[in-house]
Amino acid sequence: MAKGFSIRARCQNFGWPRDRRAREISRPIIGAKRRFVDHAVGKLLFFAALAAIVAVFIIIVFLLRDGYQIVLETGPWNFLTGAEWNPTGRNPAYGVFPLITGTVLVMALAMVVAVPLSIGSAVFIAEIAFPGMKSTIKPAIELLAGIPSVVYGFFGLILLTDWIRVAFDQPSGSSWLCGSILLAIMAIPTITSIAEDAISSVPREFKEGSLALGATHWQTIRRVIVPGALSGISAAIILGMGRAIGETMAVLMVTGNAAVIPDPIYDVFSPVRTLTGTLGIEIGEVAFGSTHYHALFGVAVVLLFITLAINSAARVITTRIQGTQGTPRSAPPGRVKTALRDSAPHRALATAASRVAHAASAPFGRLLHPRISQRCAFFLISLSVAIVLAVLGVILFEIVVNGAGAISWEFLTGSPRDLGRAGGIFPAIAGTFYLVGGALAVALPLGIATAVYLIEYTADTPLMRSIRAAVDLLNGTPSIVFGLFGFAFLVLFIGFGVSLIAGQITLSLMILPTIIRTTEEALRSIPGSLREGSYALGATKWQTIWRVVLPPALPGIFTGAILSIGRAAGETAPIMFTAAIFSSRFLPSSLTEPVMALPYHLFVLTTTVPGAATQSYGTAFVLLLLVLTIYLGAILVRRRYHRATVM
Amino acid sequence: MTDSTILETTNLNLWYGQKHALIDISLRVPKNKVTALIGPSGCGKSTLLRCFNRMNDLVDSSRITGEILFNGNDIHDPHQDVYAIREKIGMVFQKPNPFQKSIYENIAYGPRIHGVSEKKALDRIVEESLRGAALWDEVKDRLHEPALSLSGGQQQRLCIARSLAVGPEVILMDEPCSALDPIATAKIEDLITRLARDYTVVIVTHNMQQAARASDYTGFMYLGRLVEFDGTTKIFEDPGEELTENYITGRFG
Repeated sequence: MAKGFSIRARCQNFGWPRDRRAREISRPIIGAKRRFVDHAVGKLLFFAALAAIVAVFIIIVFLLRDGYQIVLETGPWNFLTGAEWNPTGRNPAYGVFPLITGTVLVMALAMVVAVPLSIGSAVFIAEIAFPGMKSTIKPAIELLAGIPSVVYGFFGLILLTDWIRVAFDQPSGSSWLCGSILLAIMAIPTITSIAEDAISSVPREFKEGSLALGATHWQTIRRVIVPGALSGISAAIILGMGRAIGETMAVLMVTGNAAVIPDPIYDVFSPVRTLTGTLGIEIGEVAFGSTHYHALFGVAVVLLFITLAINSAARVITTRIQGTQGTPRSAPPGRVKTALRDSAPHRALATAASRVAHAASAPFGRLLHPRISQRCAFFLISLSVAIVLAVLGVILFEIVVNGAGAISWEFLTGSPRDLGRAGGIFPAIAGTFYLVGGALAVALPLGIATAVYLIEYTADTPLMRSIRAAVDLLNGTPSIVFGLFGFAFLVLFIGFGVSLIAGQITLSLMILPTIIRTTEEALRSIPGSLREGSYALGATKWQTIWRVVLPPALPGIFTGAILSIGRAAGETAPIMFTAAIFSSRFLPSSLTEPVMALPYHLFVLTTTVPGAATQSYGTAFVLLLLVLTIYLGAILVRRRYHRATVM
Repeated sequence: MTDSTILETTNLNLWYGQKHALIDISLRVPKNKVTALIGPSGCGKSTLLRCFNRMNDLVDSSRITGEILFNGNDIHDPHQDVYAIREKIGMVFQKPNPFQKSIYENIAYGPRIHGVSEKKALDRIVEESLRGAALWDEVKDRLHEPALSLSGGQQQRLCIARSLAVGPEVILMDEPCSALDPIATAKIEDLITRLARDYTVVIVTHNMQQAARASDYTGFMYLGRLVEFDGTTKIFEDPGEELTENYITGRFG
């Protein structure tokens, strides 16, 4: 017998009940306790998931139910194609056509501006930047995705509208053009980041294969890498469109909000009004149960359908890529980032090979020498990065330089006076923490439990797929729709009134889908073999989840939670009708009192209080600092996580 | 067969959804011996292996008929604790799957989930198990480093050590060497031979030389059926079935 080798012989000394010769395999006492815990936890998770899923469906059903009323009252055709939206006139008109047109126009022009710049930036970061440069620019651009929309709106209102008014000699700068430019700036970080992931995940071999044929770097990028990443880039653009359509505050602040169709249709200086902007303006003044109220729900339902269309488009694109791989669990559209390899590059490489061969056989037949066209292309790409960085730099510079001057001890710790023109913003800072803290306290445990239940306890049945689709739908739904739901359901229907608790619940419903989604992603990234390894040692399901699956998934879950905090802290739309008041000297003393919040404070200061520029800048600065710190945290966590898993 | 039997299946059938993956398998696995299961891909070897510790419970679409006895007890008896069965019948997988924990924590995981919390006892189990898997000398100075920093072969021995730590009687190995290089493979094969002194080992392998070298008994499976089961020498030198002979001489597969 080898030295020190007989383990089982020694097991009896280890102090846990073990009789090797026992005829019974089970040890009833430990077994029963363990099974009880396992069972209890399973039940608990089930009820958490049930609660979350019921909440998700309540939102959808509630919106559809009240939105359906307007169809009954005006007829579907009149509602969708009516050319006039004038709910407060003597003869109220509820035609959403101008609003849909406004939304589409603003979004389309924004994409025209954003797409080339974003893709140029993505190509630059993925292919041209030096490693050191890449690791700075990428997180910097991702960080900018976290700037709260009200801060963009603030920038747009005080600077961009002015520039446009002066530069184009217009009576007012609040216009379609201004909204589109602002939305483009907001969509660029999203599109760039996801497109860059797509480009970076094109396998090296394809690039090398092309270079080995004598293609220049630019030819390789154009003919192999970009076509190979095309599905991912399309998905990035679609998600950017989603972001642009869902945006409320920034658009509301700069588009002029006249519910008209531009005449002529290409008049970019015409004011327009979007679907989200309409909700943002009118929810506050609507009578419960009126036709106008139902019409606003109709608008929300239209937004819901647009979100659905965008989700489906992204899903079709991703599943088309994944179709050949036969993944056992359906891939959500959010996974675009990870899902981009495959077939397309093969084809692209083959085409490229033949083209390069042709080109080589006729070197004088070309318009430009490859090296010259490469130089031109790289110049344009670098220019797009420069523009993006310059624009974002200007925004940050403007707010930091002017905002830092407003910061003082009194500003941070005092209460507002004279409608916010003097005094401080302490109640708003504290109120933001109250709102976010409350939202997290509800959404985090519920969301994580739901994700664990969905991933670990359920099979991929049609029911689960529809639950996922519902969660996805809400994940992409514009935040103002949550504002409408919170206002209608919590403030009016349940009767909380405009209160801290209504705001907390609204925000938690808004971030719940995000938390469920990111947690699911994190859990899914833990290989099944680890679970099997644990089961094979006799671990129960819960022991396996708690000790083997959750620890490595934690950074991913954590990142999702941090991003949700940032989102909750920066959002204005969901709280402005549910929780926020402007200018309160005191903090709420109970959950049923309204509360101040930074984003809402900034919004009101900017749009309705003349002569509060310094305070606006100061508030924007504090909000920016708060949210960007949170996002920076998320980026750092993710980086550490990546390094840890690469090993 | 003179050796005493530890695992026994009678008329075992298994379906994955519509697919009839195991057909009428009747087999006796002798105690404290190495039993190899060979056969072409998709013949059901791994499926059979996963029946022994009820890992197929985790596959929703699977359905089983027939009987599996472990030390004379039916493992599908509703009174049996499936977790206790897996504690007694350990498993090592094709690809090393160490948890994302330290080397020490990987080994201590099993005893901990079965209720051992005393540090001294755990230290001892970790050392014994690592010695048992012939890994102790290589890792004794770095027990608290991540298990993923080990090489592939070391990771696989860590997984073997991990299964030893819960004190099993049977160790099931599902192509444990298929992801390893020849040197690491040789070490594992050597280990398997030594493990058979204290444990019963059932190994699924694609590699017929490995079956011939490392096992005492061999079962040849084809299309879900157990074609032949006998002493390894007998199977390789004088197979009773023509199918077996064709397979081991490389005429198909």
